[in-house]
Amino acid sequence: MEKNKQRLSDGLVRQNIVLMSGIAITPVAACATDFEKSLSLSLGFTIIAFFSVLLCRFIPKRIVYTIRVIIYALIAGLVYIPAYFALNAVFGEAATAELGLYLPILAVNPLILTKTETRFCLRPPHLMTIELLGYIVGFDIVCILVGTLRDIMVNGRVGWMNLNAGFYIPAFETTFGGLIITGAAAGMCRAAYNSHKRKRTEKAEKEKQRQEFIKEVIQ
Amino acid sequence: MLASFMSAALLSIFLQNSIFERALGINILIYAARKRSSVIGFTLGLCYITTLSSIAAWGLDRAYGGHEYYAALAPALYILIIGVLYLSSLIAVWRFFHNLFKKIKKFVHLTVFNCAVLGALFISSQSGSGLPGYLGYGLGTGLGFLVAGFLLYVAHPRLNSELVPLAFRGMPIMVIYIGILSLALHAFVGYSASI
Repeated sequence: MEKNKQRLSDGLVRQNIVLMSGIAITPVAACATDFEKSLSLSLGFTIIAFFSVLLCRFIPKRIVYTIRVIIYALIAGLVYIPAYFALNAVFGEAATAELGLYLPILAVNPLILTKTETRFCLRPPHLMTIELLGYIVGFDIVCILVGTLRDIMVNGRVGWMNLNAGFYIPAFETTFGGLIITGAAAGMCRAAYNSHKRKRTEKAEKEKQRQEFIKEVIQ
Repeated sequence: MLASFMSAALLSIFLQNSIFERALGINILIYAARKRSSVIGFTLGLCYITTLSSIAAWGLDRAYGGHEYYAALAPALYILIIGVLYLSSLIAVWRFFHNLFKKIKKFVHLTVFNCAVLGALFISSQSGSGLPGYLGYGLGTGLGFLVAGFLLYVAHPRLNSELVPLAFRGMPIMVIYIGILSLALHAFVGYSASI
């Protein structure tokens, strides 16, 4: 149970594909400009990544990676078709069209093409699913947070809820605004993670010293 | 015809650089910018694949662009084009340039299957008018990567030095730096949403 938690948190925090490794930074920085867009982008990513990786698992390992990578990308391209129609049904055609080229490029995401090979296929199916969900939810959370933050700063609202923030910074709707926000968020996330890790190590060391001390006293 | 090609190429190298204007291929750029040879290698690979695949994408768009479900099918079809080109090129390199094949085989898939290449085909499809336009956007995306790669390569040692706080060193500061360069480039064209 504890190991499963760790596997889940791996993708959520330690190896978050947006803030830690940066392999899926493009759609978040360029396209998550408001709450609704970030929501539809997250749903699109969830469908494409989850089903593509699950299907890619069935590709035999005897096929060389040179060819397997093409098959992985093709599978993701085919999974994109139902994902596109699902997004159309949920958010409407106009909202899906607003995602522009950032929705189809999710099909060549390194999570599908590289992590499937180096990580997911090496695990038993149930552990792979847990890890994969961790990575996907990690992306979704960051995407929605960045979208919400930009929605507040650019429009003074979150989705349909008007906040009357009183200040508006339209530049954060642009790509450079997204890059600066995402880069800063990545730095802060790493700082928080490093600090947490340091504290945990210190706590473990103190506990170890305490145990040794107790042992010595008993002896 | 040449004017259409040149204007599309120049636009995608400078004003609509796919890295600065649309953030396409940032993860690949950060990886490549560590070494000059990587920047050149990735640029050559990108130029080759985006230019040639844009020809096939033009043919496909012309033949089926008006189809009702083309928007849903386009990614799979574009990936198929890229895949066929990648495989045939790799076989040719393996057959005739064995030493080159050994050098490139570890990272060639990163050059080909990334959002910069697929994105370039979609940009060509949206903005390119006729084959010269498609070719111009295809080649320009690759050369635009060279411009962005070189700008990041020259700043790489300083961005990874001790002057930068440990948590920001590496990817975060590079993304912020690309954002600042993108901001500078936006000054030429004015604000616009990237989609």
